[in-house]
Amino acid sequence: MKQVINLELNGERYEVAVAPHATLLEVMRRELGLVGAKKGCDTGGCGCCTVLVDDRAVYSCMTYAMTLEGKKITTIEGLARDGKLDPLQQAFIEAGAVQCGYCTCGMIMAAKAFLLNSRSPTEAQIRQAIAGNLCRCTGYRKIVEAIGLAAR
Amino acid sequence: MSELSVVGQRVRSPDAYDKVTGGKGFPVNVRLPGMLHGKLLRSPYAHARIVRIDTAKAEKLPGVKAVLTPSAVPQIKYHSVFFAPNLDPGMVRDMLILSDTVRFAGEPVAAVAATELEIAEEALELIDVEYDVLPAVFDPGEAMRPGAPQIWEHAPNNVAVNLSFGFGDVEQGFKQADYVFENTYQTQRVHTCYMEPRVCVVDSDRQGDLTVWSSTQHIFGLQEKLAFALGLPISKVRVVKPRYIGGGFGGKLDLGYIEPVCALLSLKSGRPVRIEQTRYEDFITTARHPVKVQLRTGVKKDGTFTARYAKSILETGAHATHGAVVLPVHGLMGFLLTYRCPDVKWEGCAVYTNNMIGGGFRGYGGPQGAFAVESQIDEICEELKLDPIAFRLKNAHREADPHPFNPNFTLSTYRLDECLKRGAQEFEWSKRQSAGSGSGTKKRGIGFACQPLWVSGCVGFPGIYEHSGAIVKLNVDGTADLSIATVDMGCGQNAVLSQIVAEELGVSADAVRIAYADTQTVPFDAPTHASRVTYSAGNAVKVAAGSARKRLLEVASQLFGASPDDLEVVNGRVRLKGSRAKEIPIAEVVELAGAPALTLGLEGNQRTPIADKGTILGTSSLAPASNPSPATAEFVEVEVDTETGEVRPLRALFAHDIGRVISPLGAEGQVEGGFQQGMGFALMENLVFDSETGSCLAGDFLNYKIPTAIEMPGEIKSLFIESNEPSGPFGAKALAEPCLIVPAPAIANAIYNAIGVRVRELPITPEKILAALGKL
Repeated sequence: MKQVINLELNGERYEVAVAPHATLLEVMRRELGLVGAKKGCDTGGCGCCTVLVDDRAVYSCMTYAMTLEGKKITTIEGLARDGKLDPLQQAFIEAGAVQCGYCTCGMIMAAKAFLLNSRSPTEAQIRQAIAGNLCRCTGYRKIVEAIGLAAR
Repeated sequence: MSELSVVGQRVRSPDAYDKVTGGKGFPVNVRLPGMLHGKLLRSPYAHARIVRIDTAKAEKLPGVKAVLTPSAVPQIKYHSVFFAPNLDPGMVRDMLILSDTVRFAGEPVAAVAATELEIAEEALELIDVEYDVLPAVFDPGEAMRPGAPQIWEHAPNNVAVNLSFGFGDVEQGFKQADYVFENTYQTQRVHTCYMEPRVCVVDSDRQGDLTVWSSTQHIFGLQEKLAFALGLPISKVRVVKPRYIGGGFGGKLDLGYIEPVCALLSLKSGRPVRIEQTRYEDFITTARHPVKVQLRTGVKKDGTFTARYAKSILETGAHATHGAVVLPVHGLMGFLLTYRCPDVKWEGCAVYTNNMIGGGFRGYGGPQGAFAVESQIDEICEELKLDPIAFRLKNAHREADPHPFNPNFTLSTYRLDECLKRGAQEFEWSKRQSAGSGSGTKKRGIGFACQPLWVSGCVGFPGIYEHSGAIVKLNVDGTADLSIATVDMGCGQNAVLSQIVAEELGVSADAVRIAYADTQTVPFDAPTHASRVTYSAGNAVKVAAGSARKRLLEVASQLFGASPDDLEVVNGRVRLKGSRAKEIPIAEVVELAGAPALTLGLEGNQRTPIADKGTILGTSSLAPASNPSPATAEFVEVEVDTETGEVRPLRALFAHDIGRVISPLGAEGQVEGGFQQGMGFALMENLVFDSETGSCLAGDFLNYKIPTAIEMPGEIKSLFIESNEPSGPFGAKALAEPCLIVPAPAIANAIYNAIGVRVRELPITPEKILAALGKL
């Protein structure tokens, strides 16, 4: 049975009817037209669907939408402000950290959550922070470099 | 060659902005009004005949709009591989959209389209299938034995394809050898792990014309294969090119079950139908073929090859498909042609089993060959106390030799020697210790491996599409649109091709836009595969851009009152060669070329100075003129924990004769990403199946482990040897596949150097290390 909930996504309020088993990922992609978070596995194994909930990185495929009433959700669509890219987005472009791009949005969101609490991270800390996000194209080196760039 | 202004620059990918802000251009995002959701019912049995399918209950479920069973689909046998024509005699046509016999666990038996995904899933559970379960076989060795279950009538002993190549007299060659080495190497089944699932949407109109959106590496291959399987003329099928896809690596190089099923569900329901595979379905859709390679190699005391023999047994799974081509590519490029040797022979067969179907995967038979060949060379060098670099150079092809596959081609640029020498120097190879000599429980070792010969395209196999075409159109704002069928799957094809157009036109890279394309609007292009795009499509793009430039200068010549030959384009402006006195922006020339003959102004009607009106554009469609070989060596240092068996790659250096580097950022990305895939292949990845039931046991990323940022070495260096190939666009050759071919043997050789024990079976897991050390 669907139930109407209020979601705060990227600073906007959405009233949406969701089934108890609907994940945030499904609701965003199917109901709200927010396609930045990607479905790579749907089992919490790849990180392509990573978004922020109250500034913490979560797999949106493993998070029931119903549990998010009153929480602040940020997706890749909410990262750029007034047409200006977030330093992470800019750094990913500059460093050549984007190849096929399917992991990119989740990767940037995982890095965003990390950098909110870590001002001058070491390379090892950056690698640890994105260990839950798989990339099959880049070998991660340029992604790590981009996150380091954005941190500075 | 004159100075280049765009080629060789670290330009940003043209898609990067879109991808960091949400990535809307992936086919997984395609949704159409009224779209239905399809699901496939898959067999739980690895080998069975379908006695009866009852879909009555499913059809009555509200929301279900169409149901398919084998009796309701065309029974046209096809092969699914995009780059080979439908009737290519080298291919085996053993595929059906839905068959009444299933040959692997997970083969589709029925399909449903419904208004909601959940309804489609519920409908699958209402379909009642009665199976007559048949005996199954999962091991290629067992499958070839007399009395084994027969999977196909056309394949006695389950051998799908049997091939042999060679030259000289191999027995004579062995007689001349001072030493003969015999070893067997085994590789495992690994998955490409493209991140975007295989997904498609198919719409049909009332005349039965189909439009297809799919996460595919080849729009023309999909059109051709889909039309054939459905029994339609190709003009009834239009495939739309995705702006980009979320990885492919060869895993999206064939017609899947989902496209023909969606097409039929759409024709039946009159509505667009979408199927997105689950990750589990993706894992059982495509994989690198496991190959067992038996090598017999004769050498002189000084390390000169006298004879080389190999026998390869490739497991193709339930259908032949790619296996029929991976096999010869593996035999030729992975073994036979790698080094110079007077007497060489290779025999191989592709064997059916009741496992999942093997598919394309970056390197296409090369990694299995290189693991065997490059491991064994190190074993020979260790035994005979020879220097492994000198050994390889002694037996390597040389620049200006005839191409060993096609003597009409020449190895006009070929710098394996430079890859090895400069690579060794930068990696400090000379500091390598003797095998297993380190003290303590954590031992370090260094090793390397080569891929001496590879392709910049398809090398001229007779049955394979190789040509490319493009349209370059100039716009009134001075930008250029490139229309081409090439799909960018993450290797930076859009960047490379834009840079080639920009260089040829004399504009900046960001002035080139990749245009919409579908199978109706652009010339044919062979797939994004075989490391071919930069070289083959690059040449086609260069010709199209050159033709547009020629027309641009013809028009501009009327403005300068000079011959087109006296003009040049620099930074988007036309001028007399070497003169800055008068410069006219391309935008102005293009506008004047297309403007009406009479323009209305305040001073009255005026004639424009350009008489012959028209759009300035250039087109091309051409086959590659040659197939220059790249050459590759990779050096790796590892640390092996002899207590836990864990292997940690610490650093890698990849030296590659790539020709001229068009796009350095993208090229480095190929190397670094290739190492991730090669390292996974070497150390951890294994798509395991239950040996009793044939069902996949590693169908998600929790059970199928690929290297994360933590396991990857912090240092991966790219050393590009820019040999400036005369037949390539601005001197370029190829890169993509060797990046994944060499890591596994390089890592295996480094492990040997660390612990003095050889593992000949991939993946080299901690268990195998400990067993090899006698600790298990």
